[in-house]
Amino acid sequence: MDWLSNQIGAEWARAIAQFIGINVGFVVVLMIVAYTVLAERRVLGFIQGRLGPNRVGPGGLMQPFADLLKFIFKEEITPSSSTRFVYFLAPIIAITAALMPIIVYPFGPEVSLPFVGRFHLVIARFDIALLYVLGITSVGVYGVALAGWSSNSKYSLMGGLRAAAQMISYELSLGLSLVGVVLISGTLDLNEIVVQQGGWFGLRWNIWDISRVPQIIGFVTYLISAIAETNRVPFDLPEAETELVAGFHTEYSALKFALFFMAEYVNMFTVSMLATTLFLGGWQGPGVSVFPWIGVVWFLLKVSFFLFLYIWLRGTLPRFRFDQLMSFGWKFLLPVAILNVIITATIMWLRL
Amino acid sequence: MLMIPLFILFGAMAIGCAVAMVAQRNPLYSAISLIGVFVSLACLYLTLQAPFIAAVQVIVYAGAIMVLVVFVIMLLNVEEEVRRPVRLHYLIPVSVILAAVLVAEAAFMLKLGSGAGHVEPVTQPDSGVGLTASIGTGLFTTYLLPFEVTSVLILMALVGAITLARQTRTPLAAVPGNVDASPSELGPRGEVLLQPGETAETGRAFARFQIEHGEAAAPAETKGEGER
Repeated sequence: MDWLSNQIGAEWARAIAQFIGINVGFVVVLMIVAYTVLAERRVLGFIQGRLGPNRVGPGGLMQPFADLLKFIFKEEITPSSSTRFVYFLAPIIAITAALMPIIVYPFGPEVSLPFVGRFHLVIARFDIALLYVLGITSVGVYGVALAGWSSNSKYSLMGGLRAAAQMISYELSLGLSLVGVVLISGTLDLNEIVVQQGGWFGLRWNIWDISRVPQIIGFVTYLISAIAETNRVPFDLPEAETELVAGFHTEYSALKFALFFMAEYVNMFTVSMLATTLFLGGWQGPGVSVFPWIGVVWFLLKVSFFLFLYIWLRGTLPRFRFDQLMSFGWKFLLPVAILNVIITATIMWLRL
Repeated sequence: MLMIPLFILFGAMAIGCAVAMVAQRNPLYSAISLIGVFVSLACLYLTLQAPFIAAVQVIVYAGAIMVLVVFVIMLLNVEEEVRRPVRLHYLIPVSVILAAVLVAEAAFMLKLGSGAGHVEPVTQPDSGVGLTASIGTGLFTTYLLPFEVTSVLILMALVGAITLARQTRTPLAAVPGNVDASPSELGPRGEVLLQPGETAETGRAFARFQIEHGEAAAPAETKGEGER
């Protein structure tokens, strides 16, 4: 940041760096999401004993572009109700709330870029990063609920309300399972949490850290809550095709449906990044202190593991019924998350 | 330097959303405008260097309480307000006078307090203790009693709401047309076959109800419920 700071002042230099970082992050996330859709179709195909789409391009690698063209040229059918504003607003809320948290994730350690000097590979560093992520996740519920209501159809309304109820129920256990990590790290800043998990050949990752409190219960609780939060199998009753037509996005066509579709996969990507950062050590891995850019590779490898886990679960498990889903979230997962907080706090208090 | 345009922007957003909330006829649009007000308030907290309060405002108000309000509006299918003609004509000049009094009071308070200087940030940037830690420390040491009393108050509201909303009626009504305690459908091995829409709980609960109330005949006016 030195050369740029000397030219136009430190604040403007940082603002420009963050702006470039936001654009780069946006493009990278959308490309990763597009190829996650392809990967899901291929991996699901392999699990189910068939090949996925492999015609477009070598091995099907240009399939996302074919899908994008299809979505752009489809006919937009808008229901003739009086709530057009909310109908257009809902996918915007969904995709915005899905994309906003990516600015706080640390992609790598401090690197030296040619013009700007030392630079942490985080777009925005502030000390309430985790609360910011939780807040934006809370706002993302509105996209689903408003979409269901404004479509003026009973399937969409039921699907939207069910999906919103499921999301707000599992948000609680999501937040509580993260409290254990905050307790042992002492900070809400994600970069700080990743830095504290360094060294000892990966034995200091939060999930199995013996020197602090191992967060294995928190990890499992977080993973289950995250899968329920993003409406994925086995918690995808609100949008299952055999249940409620297509749930809250029944009446959406073409580009607006593409926005919802993308929002779901970006949500998946975001919670995978959060799991990697908080429990699996983020960009920590062998060789990071010698060659900092390899941290990005380790980060992406861990995130890909979580995405593969999502796809694997989709191909393997049946889905929950809605009352089973709600009772599991409120009667089992929430007490387990609270128990994790109590156990972590007790062990920390006894050690001091 | 950048604070004044930001304050004007967020303040205008808050006021605009608040006016929209009151002026809208559709209740869902009012709810969305209220969410806009809360988000603008969170941004204003950010300009006052209180990021924790801003995040908690979004999480609690815009993310939880307003979700509940939106759910209620959607489930109860509250309709648009119909514009009725103004009946009480004397209220219009009274409201104008009272609004002028309020503005005069606010201007007086601003004039009175304008010599106090600008607002200082809550945290001392050099002390190493962030806003979250100082809020946590204060909340659990100095302000522990109000904190615990507030949590008991919220629990009281929750229990009261659940008690008021609970209906004491027959526990799981059976599907109409299949209200026998001895089911007519038996499988090849003599087991009870469940009808569509019924779980094993339904049959057992209905049998229990019949035993408790001594009814041998089927209550024909039992309404079928949807799935529980």
